[in-house]
Amino acid sequence: MDFKKLLNEKEFVFLDGAMGTMLQAAGLDAGENSEMLNLTRPELIESINRGYIEAGSDIFYCNTFGANRYKLKAVGKTPAEIIPVAIEIANRAKASASRKAYCALDIGSIGQLLEPNGTLSFDEAYDIFKEMIIAGKGADCIVIETMTDLLEAKAALLAAKENSGLPVLVTMTFEENMRTFTGCCIESMAMTLGGLGADAIGINCSLGPRELYPAVEKLCSLTNLPVIIKPNAGLPDPVTNKYNVLPDEFSQLLKAMIPLGIKIVGGCCGTSPDYIKATVKAFEGEKNQAKEKELPPAVCSASSAVIIDCPRIIGERINPTGKKRFKQALQEHDLDYICNQAIEQIDAGAEILDVNVGLPGIDEKEMMISAIKAVQGICDTPLQIDSSIPEVLDAALRVYNGKPIVNSVNGEEKSLNSVLPLVAKYGTAVVGLCLDENGIPKTVEGRVAIAEKICKRADEYGIPRRDICIDCLTLTCSAEQEAAMQTIEALRICKEKLGVRTVLGVSNISFGLPQREIVNRTFLTMALTKGLDLPIMNPNIASMTSAVRAYRLLANIDKNAQEFVANYGGETPAAAAPAVKQEDMTLGYAMSKGLKNDAAAITAKLLETNDAMEIVNGILIPELDKTGADFEKGKIFLPQLILTAGVAQSCFEVIKDYLSQHGAGGVSKGKIVICTVKGDVHDIGKNIVKVLLENYGYTVIDLGKDVDPMLVVKTAIEHDVKLVGLSALMTTTLKGMEETIKLLRENHPCKIMVGGAVLTPDYARQIGADYYAKDAKQSCDIAKEVFGQ
Amino acid sequence: MEIKIDIDEAVRYMGYRGVPDEEQLQKIKKQAELLEKSLKPAVIYRIFDLDESFYGVKLKLTNITFEGEDIKRHLAGCDKCVLLCATAGLKADELIRRAQTEDISLGFITDCLASAAVEAVCNELERELKDKLPDRHMTWRFSPGYGDLPLSVQPQILDVLNAQKRAGVSCLESLLMVPSKSVTAIIGLSREPVENKRRGCSICNMAGRCDFRKRGIHC
Repeated sequence: MDFKKLLNEKEFVFLDGAMGTMLQAAGLDAGENSEMLNLTRPELIESINRGYIEAGSDIFYCNTFGANRYKLKAVGKTPAEIIPVAIEIANRAKASASRKAYCALDIGSIGQLLEPNGTLSFDEAYDIFKEMIIAGKGADCIVIETMTDLLEAKAALLAAKENSGLPVLVTMTFEENMRTFTGCCIESMAMTLGGLGADAIGINCSLGPRELYPAVEKLCSLTNLPVIIKPNAGLPDPVTNKYNVLPDEFSQLLKAMIPLGIKIVGGCCGTSPDYIKATVKAFEGEKNQAKEKELPPAVCSASSAVIIDCPRIIGERINPTGKKRFKQALQEHDLDYICNQAIEQIDAGAEILDVNVGLPGIDEKEMMISAIKAVQGICDTPLQIDSSIPEVLDAALRVYNGKPIVNSVNGEEKSLNSVLPLVAKYGTAVVGLCLDENGIPKTVEGRVAIAEKICKRADEYGIPRRDICIDCLTLTCSAEQEAAMQTIEALRICKEKLGVRTVLGVSNISFGLPQREIVNRTFLTMALTKGLDLPIMNPNIASMTSAVRAYRLLANIDKNAQEFVANYGGETPAAAAPAVKQEDMTLGYAMSKGLKNDAAAITAKLLETNDAMEIVNGILIPELDKTGADFEKGKIFLPQLILTAGVAQSCFEVIKDYLSQHGAGGVSKGKIVICTVKGDVHDIGKNIVKVLLENYGYTVIDLGKDVDPMLVVKTAIEHDVKLVGLSALMTTTLKGMEETIKLLRENHPCKIMVGGAVLTPDYARQIGADYYAKDAKQSCDIAKEVFGQ
Repeated sequence: MEIKIDIDEAVRYMGYRGVPDEEQLQKIKKQAELLEKSLKPAVIYRIFDLDESFYGVKLKLTNITFEGEDIKRHLAGCDKCVLLCATAGLKADELIRRAQTEDISLGFITDCLASAAVEAVCNELERELKDKLPDRHMTWRFSPGYGDLPLSVQPQILDVLNAQKRAGVSCLESLLMVPSKSVTAIIGLSREPVENKRRGCSICNMAGRCDFRKRGIHC
């Protein structure tokens, strides 16, 4: 089908109304599988399809909304058995109707959430959609609809683009707060799906046309793609399940959206051919009013968009260069460490986070994917994906939820040819470095010339200038003093001449100089006044972040100094006067009171005069023992136990840092693998156990949640682990626990401890565990028994 | 919708006997405020006519038959029921993940507060239902997994309510719901007064191994 031609020929394109509502009107019970009707009642489906064509639908949806592998399993069918039949039915409806129409392969949400919320991986989701798209190749176009998870919509859209040449329409479902249930905002939807090459985007389901007006208004202002609106017939009554907006009102409410710039309209739940007929009639003689808009430069996660209309801080700390502790975290696959680096920078004022996990000896691709998933699971700050390997970038761009920045491309042919196609395909922003085969040009003109070359090549790929961020490169001032001004001058010219954003890593400037902070801050301020948009810097250094905020104030960006005052105007919060001053406090006191920061500070101080292991064995462990004993006696309760464990964790972090700085490895009392078993996603209990075990000096390999039994076995063998801990919360997931134990027994000699809300000692024995741990404290006792210390 | 988390209830979930010390309580209250501000809870329900059969109770116009003796007892004397699904939303899961990365004890507190939040959503709906259905008596909330009502009915309930579309709630093959702080429940409606006490221990799947009972108290 020639979608562009259809759009050009018609002022408005009409879609169909609801399928489910029509089926229930025909007697289908709620909860019954509607795709089976393609096989059992094809004539009913055909008549519904035809009903919509006759009512005026230009594109109608085949009855394939839930025809995915996962949902069809319940009825014992496959997409290949259902989808081609549904398309045949649609073609029969087309052939017998009195007017021309096109049929769309209808793809709804899988019914399972993707990680980190659910257990479905991006690749699995992609594969499920791919199967549908291949089975549906006979359709005229593809519709991806009722999506609430931007990442799921992305998986479907990528599957469509990579496995079919058909036009793809994508609609998502927004609530009154203009977000989907997964938190996706309209800005993120528009820039992400637009960037990935959707042919039209829009909104369907959830609410009626009245409630959706503001969401449609917003979407129309954010995209140059044709906008689709397919609302419900109002809201359903809980008793009758009838919807409260009738066809005439529905059509008038849709008509009122014409000035917003809508192009493609239809109805969702509760609508019928009468609604479409009324809408077509109401739109007669109306002109399309969509206008071409200048879109702002921006990046996003699924739930937060950062418009680069003023300097935005890119946090540089997720990067192992020159950081021993970070390298150790990468080697140990310690994602919590990386997440903490993210949180710290966000709290300090970072608006975008650079993620670089390249380290010789680790699988950078796997690490990058894990890091992106982990960081996106705990915050909504957009990311800048930093790698020099195109395969790593490609893999990262697939799983990234939103529109990231790619860091980086440069003027070398090899780089241009491998990175720019990725940027174009995934619709991301990109950092362009002003260097090429011959290195960094000495002159301003040389750097601008490379920037121009990058821009020209990007133009050929259709990458808009707003998505290009040129880095004129900071050189070390102590080595090349004249270079600082050249960098800034090149930056100014690029920004003015090329219409790009500018980006600069600022910390390098002061290498080898005293008082680096002063040099960095001054250089940053100089660059900001010449048009630096994206400083890559350490936001944890207060004077750097405050320089950006002060600039935003002085440049009249931060109106009424709101942001500045919010950050610096308040009185320093009067910390509740501690009963004991830090200098008089013992580590034990700080631990029992849950004073994390004090405990960390005391630990750091103790390290100046004491051996690390002395602190661990002489203070931390005895204090934990005492807390554990009090817990067992019922003197204190779980929250206090966890509180002390959490404080101890911060002390150990200080010690770990110290040891890695001083080149000494920690002494581990033994390795333990722990996880929440397959099928289960509740991991708070497991995480508490992990912290306690680590407190006692064990190396814990945490495989996370919903863990495949085979991975547990493989890890246990690989690290020759003596003790494995398994957690499960529900009766339904004990199966996963039992399987894991069985597989471990067959492959690796070790002790197994199990825990979780529904477990009992009896049941633990029955499924073959060696130990039942009733709480986190007991898991430590078990470890002591197994490792003999 | 706005929610007010019952701090006392959350503190009980945490396993405190009595009141936490002032510092802890402040930390809990501060986190509760963050949740109240950030969460996007949702609740949906439909009212169905009931048909009792030998196997259990059928919801008319759906493919659901609730099996077991306990649900029969629960709905005895009721001609209709409210089928509901409530959730604290995905933001709760994100905040729990984030809190436990920063500080495990804050993670634990957040988890318990989020449980109390979804309870608050349900309580709010019950109040609303009482206003909407003044001539009806209501039973307490019975959920899949209680007594002999199998958990396997969970996906059907979510399907019939169209919960994924309307509340963003789905369930894994292991029948765990996502977002994790979500509940489904059945409230019987009767024209005659019905027993409406809290659920007892006899039908609880934690009976015999629950921490509350060991301490001589009820949840």
